[in-house]
Formats: sequence, structure tokens, C-alpha cells
Amino acid sequence: MYAWVWRHLPGPWPVRLVIFLILLAAIVYALFIWVFPWVEETLEISEVTVG
Amino acid sequence: MTMREQAETGQPRSGARVRGTPPRRSVPAMIAGGFGELLLTAGALVLLFVVYLLWGTGLQTAAAQDDLRGQLDLGGSASSSQDGSSPDESDSSSDRSLDELALGDAYGIIRIPRFGDDWEWVIVQGVEDDDLRNGPGHYPDSANPGELGNFAVAAHRSGHGEPFAPFPRLHVGDIVEIETVDGTFVYKLDDAPDGDSDGNRISISDSWVVDPVPGQPRDAEPVEKRITLTTCWPRFGSSHRMYATGVLIEEEQR
Repeated sequence: MYAWVWRHLPGPWPVRLVIFLILLAAIVYALFIWVFPWVEETLEISEVTVG
Repeated sequence: MTMREQAETGQPRSGARVRGTPPRRSVPAMIAGGFGELLLTAGALVLLFVVYLLWGTGLQTAAAQDDLRGQLDLGGSASSSQDGSSPDESDSSSDRSLDELALGDAYGIIRIPRFGDDWEWVIVQGVEDDDLRNGPGHYPDSANPGELGNFAVAAHRSGHGEPFAPFPRLHVGDIVEIETVDGTFVYKLDDAPDGDSDGNRISISDSWVVDPVPGQPRDAEPVEKRITLTTCWPRFGSSHRMYATGVLIEEEQR
């Protein structure tokens, strides 16, 4: 999977590395902003109210 | 025969790397490799989620607290008596300004010296997820501070800034100070976990703790001015709740 991505990135390896890290950062950002809040709400793991 | 020679002769042995082409692997090896990568990715995702819960949520909460603090006007002059309607009780005009708050608005300040002298949070109006992610929340149907009845506040104890992280350390006799546009209200706890990490554990549906008169029917006429705090139990879960409650001992109206 990662090797496949690496092979399909353009440019010499330093360029690939930068693109790869940017991709990774974008994915982590999306996880933190959208995915994890949704998971937290769905799993109901931080409820603090009664009733 | 070296690998270079193999490549040059165009007869690579299986697994040998030929320039420009991916290494050839057997199908089971590819499946196993892909499965391994999936497992590693899943592990990294779980770790990231924990990082999000313990640290990421706190960043958002800290920013929200800054905003809320800016909303609060505890100078006491500007926010009260916007409308000229005559107050039918001594403090109803200032109560109205608290009651006019929308969900998510800054409500007041909570201080609990037991948690440290600099422990201070801006309370928001409302106890929905969207409110509580910004700070401790006031149950909107519960009384305002200083009123007869039960002023109820919920807050996280893991993630989202974890305002109530040291909750089990609350003891009977501890002070909870609330400051709103109405004034400053000092409550003294008469029921608390008392240092027991399982103390005052209640079920999720035990909403009686935030009733006007805890333990009495919801329409019972309150004679005390109470405060009730709720949070989750266990700390990193939500199977139960935990509470502490107290009574007003001192108030300073604005």
C-alpha cells in the first residue's frame, strides 16, 4: 500500500518525501477535524450528564 | 551470479529487484504484506485517536474558553437592566439576563480551590456535546446560582480540557465559587466522592441529582439553594456518572 503510493509519486526521492509527508499531514488533519469527533460522539465515550 | 549480472542478462531470479519495475512477490507474500500494513495502519489510527482524545480536544477547548471569557462581562454595569420591565422579585432583573442566554453562550465562572488556586473555568449555557466541548456546562433547566433549587453543572474529566479531572478529590466541606452577572455565590459541598475514585457513583439515568430538590419529586418546592456537579465515571469512559452536591453559604449580589 505505502510502497504503491511511493512508486506513484512523481519526482526524485526528496520531492516524493515532501509530498508523502504533506499527504500524511492532510490525512491526520482530516481525522482530527472530522473523523475523530464523529467517532467520539458515536461511541458515547465522553458523556458527563445525567438523564 | 550477482544480482547485477542477473539484471543485465534479463533473467532476474524471483524477488530480485530490477531497475524500473516493482519487485516481484508471490501472491501470498503480497497478501500477508498488505495485511501487515493494514494492521500497522490500524494501530497508528488507534494511537492517533487517543492523542486526539487526550490532547487534541483540549486545544479546541482552550481556544473556546478564550472566546467565552471575552463574551463574559462581569463588570456588573453593562449587562443588567437592558429592558425596563419592573422586577417582581429582588433579583429577577439580573436573573432575566442569565435566562436570556442562548445555548453555548458564556454563563459565568466556576472556581474550586480544591483543584488549585488557579483552577478557573468559564461555564457555558447548555450540556449538549457542542456546549461541553467548550467548557463546563450549566443544565439549562436547572436553577441559576443564588436561586432556590439546584444549580447544576456538568463537565468532562477526560479530554476537552478535562476540567473535572480531579473530581474524586472533592471532599465534604469543599468550596465551589460561582460568579455570574448576578454576583458571586459560594457553595459548600455536603456530599462528595471524598477521595474515593468510585465515590458517589450513580447510574446514567439518575437525573434526580439535578432535580430542584434532589431525591424528591421534580415538582417539589425547593427550600434550599443547592449546587450539583456531574461528570463521567469511569474517568476514561461513560458507563456511569459521578456527582457532588452542596448548599449556598454565602452570596454577594451585584
